[in-house]
Amino acid sequence: MTAPGSRILREFRLVLLMLLPILIVMVLLVFLPPDGKERAEWIQFIGRFHPLAVHLPIALVLLVPIVELAGRSSRLSYLRLSTSFLLGLATLTATAAAILGWCLGCSGGYSGPLVTQHMWGGILLTFTCWLCWMLRAGLGQPETLFRIPLAIAVVLVAWTGYRGGQLSLGADHLTEHMPAGLRHVLGVTPNGTVLSKADPNTFYGARVQPIFAARCVGCHGPDKHKANLRLDTYQGVMRGGKDGPAVQAGNTQGSDLFRRVTLPANHDDFMPKGGKKALSSDEVKLIELWIAAGASETLAKDEIKNAPADSVAPVVAEVTFQEIDPAAVTKGRAGIAPAVAQLQKRFPNILDYESRGSADLRLNASILGTRFGDKDLADFAPVAEQITEADFSRTGVTDQSASTIAAMKRLRILRLTNTGISDATLVRLGAMDQLESLNLFGTNVTPAALPAISRLPKLARLYAGQTSIPQGTPVPQALAGKIVF
Amino acid sequence: MSNSKVRPKDQGAGEVSTETCRELRMAALQAQTRRHFLRTLGGGLGTIFVGTSLAQYATPGKDSTHSESSALDFTRDPSSPLSELPPQFAAKVRRVIYLHMAGAPSQLELFEHKPDLRRLDGQDCPASFLAGKRFAFISGVPKLLGSQYPFHQVGQSGHWISDRLPHLEQHLDDICFIKSMRTDQFNHAPAQLLVHTGNARLGYASFGSWVLYGLGTENQNLPGFIVLLSGGKSPDGGKQLWSSGFLPSVYQGVQCRSHGEPVLYLDNPPETSRSLRRDMLGAIDQINRQTYAAFGNPETITRIAQYEMAFRMQMDATDAMDIHKEPDSVRAMYGSKPGESSFANNCLVARRLAERGVRFIQLYHWGWDSHGADAKEALNLGFADRCREVDQPTAALLADLKERGMLEDTLIVWGGEFGRTPMRENRNGQEMKYVGRDHNPGAFTIWLAGGGVKAGITHGQTDEMGYEIVKDPVEIRDLHATMLYLLGFDHHKLNYSFQGLEQKLTSVKPARVVAEILA
Repeated sequence: MTAPGSRILREFRLVLLMLLPILIVMVLLVFLPPDGKERAEWIQFIGRFHPLAVHLPIALVLLVPIVELAGRSSRLSYLRLSTSFLLGLATLTATAAAILGWCLGCSGGYSGPLVTQHMWGGILLTFTCWLCWMLRAGLGQPETLFRIPLAIAVVLVAWTGYRGGQLSLGADHLTEHMPAGLRHVLGVTPNGTVLSKADPNTFYGARVQPIFAARCVGCHGPDKHKANLRLDTYQGVMRGGKDGPAVQAGNTQGSDLFRRVTLPANHDDFMPKGGKKALSSDEVKLIELWIAAGASETLAKDEIKNAPADSVAPVVAEVTFQEIDPAAVTKGRAGIAPAVAQLQKRFPNILDYESRGSADLRLNASILGTRFGDKDLADFAPVAEQITEADFSRTGVTDQSASTIAAMKRLRILRLTNTGISDATLVRLGAMDQLESLNLFGTNVTPAALPAISRLPKLARLYAGQTSIPQGTPVPQALAGKIVF
Repeated sequence: MSNSKVRPKDQGAGEVSTETCRELRMAALQAQTRRHFLRTLGGGLGTIFVGTSLAQYATPGKDSTHSESSALDFTRDPSSPLSELPPQFAAKVRRVIYLHMAGAPSQLELFEHKPDLRRLDGQDCPASFLAGKRFAFISGVPKLLGSQYPFHQVGQSGHWISDRLPHLEQHLDDICFIKSMRTDQFNHAPAQLLVHTGNARLGYASFGSWVLYGLGTENQNLPGFIVLLSGGKSPDGGKQLWSSGFLPSVYQGVQCRSHGEPVLYLDNPPETSRSLRRDMLGAIDQINRQTYAAFGNPETITRIAQYEMAFRMQMDATDAMDIHKEPDSVRAMYGSKPGESSFANNCLVARRLAERGVRFIQLYHWGWDSHGADAKEALNLGFADRCREVDQPTAALLADLKERGMLEDTLIVWGGEFGRTPMRENRNGQEMKYVGRDHNPGAFTIWLAGGGVKAGITHGQTDEMGYEIVKDPVEIRDLHATMLYLLGFDHHKLNYSFQGLEQKLTSVKPARVVAEILA
């Protein structure tokens, strides 16, 4: 060996020695990567110390830049003497943490991109630490060269730590309670994205899957699936995990999932684990009803009776008011305004516009009683097509006015309570394709008029009390449920 | 504006003295308040203000706390101040029947099913319930009180109801419950004022008056706003609950009696025929019109209108109020016995008035204040009587209106002024002989039925004790905004200029139409 080479070997024995464990870990990872399968108990046991052990390299790596910066001042210049030692310790602890991490990865329930990224981040971090240590200890010239890998190491600490946190606590652990403004700036998708879409018209998709997504998938999902159980898809739910099927269709008591969510919180088998709040009684009830009804993926939402009310109600639009444009209103009324004014003078208080912004008319002759008859109604013929609501209750209107009434083609509401009209008028109402409500209370209509009435396309309410239509009369299909006695 | 200094002897009709002119000028100046000053000043400062980024506050939006100046014109021919005006938008209902249970009925014994409260019956009330609260009578640590009556679910809607309202149960599918009503008044009179005038203080216009002002009434021969009382006493809020407040008094509610003469002294005195009365009124009319032309006092209009109204009422009111004219079957459906003063009679009269074009009918039934201080206030005694008194008539009213096709354009409201506590009342810290509950403004139940209202649903939710609201609180002003919306108004736009402010029923705090209960 040349003199410089042997000097290197002699002086930096320790440094070079550290390279060996790192290489071992890398070999382990390449040939025995965590694949979600469980391995021996003792490996799992020591693997549980990984979250604990990982704090050491994090702290040490972050300490090094602080010490370097602080050491620039003359008062604290002694600090820089310790950097090399800190880096060595960081490398050592990072290697140990990596090995423990590999053991934890053998405990099953870990696979997927999250784990892989975290794992390689940890390895790269260990290697970068070793590189920093080597450069700082004097193996490379100039010393300041080590700052580049140091910066990389700090970034790796943050990123690997973030991924590790997501593994332990859920993919949205950091962003769950992020303020909306920050969320928007960073482009983080809002919460509540369901991991896999189930049909929202089914009971499972609408009521059960959201419960799993919110409360279970953090540990039983694609990235992390404890006990090899996945609850993010229907197939996963029915397949079950290491301890067998989670759900037995039709058998609530025999379903392990149901058993575990109804245990007391301090029970070992209680779910959700990890100090999380138990499912609410409504949520438990929904799961119970779903399992009892056969744990189906396709059963319709409304098929299951007595389910607790959906707490996520459809959002109802707020009521808003439009401004009335007087000019537009006047224009709309221009055609009929003179006729309306004239009729209002002859018959005060019975004819007016439906509202301040409308050109439709409302005719309420019931106040005049029998003083209002067929002759008077005939005077309204010029404005018949503008009338959308007409009330002739208790007036003297008879079948003679059938043609005038029939001419009111745009009527939505027609009241003929206690008048002398009969079937003859009603069969002529065929053109009223907007009619929603027809009130025949106290008239002489008979079931013979029902077929004609049933042909009115928009009719929603037919009042036939105290008429010659007996209460149990068979009604045409179109009127079923719309007739009120 | 007082015209007490006018000396009729000195003037001919139509002449006005210089002294009166001066008085009028002074009065006009006094009417210019600080608000007018700020408003005209705001023209200059306001434009600067709008230019800043606070412009959003300068422009009144749909939920702004202050109304714009009234863009709607409510003036009418002075000879018919109650004539109909079209609503601002297409209305869902044409009339309102408000059934007010004065005293505050216990929602926990009627509509709110709380099994957890039943389980904790008799236990001490947790301190967290009492912290920071003011009670009318509860002191110390009261005990929790479960419902005194069993509950069950009914109908397609699955509403919970106690066994106290067997007739009303048949109609629960037509009813929309609001279980999360809230008020900030915990005593009867201010709470009733808040419910009926929009303000807990005296002097404001009642709901019916606003509706008459905005819409007029269909039948000019009857008052547009009629009030009927039962239960033995007037409600605590008194006649202010149907007064017109600052609106012209022609819009006030008329309290009618449901037996005998609808209004006392409506009939002509003996020896006075109707035609003689007509001549007399014609002369009074003429003088009043001259006074109005001279001074423009709107109260003169009221005076003219009231005389005319009384004259027309002589015919129509007696007929409308006469329930003898109803067939026996209908009277039996309501459980009404003519000659008594009862809620059943009032409900039947209400239906007749609705048929005859009365716009706003208010029924008050007194006696729901179930503190438990005596047998009449006990939840298992007096309360049961009250339930019996209102159950059948209310159900009959709903069924009757529905049968006649009037429910689709009538709004029925049933409720009290606040709720009752889940704690048993312990006046002076002692257990009382009878069982009762204290006032709870934090949560109470009102139900609505009729046009434009989504039937068969419940809006809002209270906690397991029925003490506070956990979901969808509805303030009284929100209820008012919703009712005005159903009548065809934007509650910001139905306003009247008084004391420099565009007054409105929903007052100055932001109010929201409860869109969830609209059909």
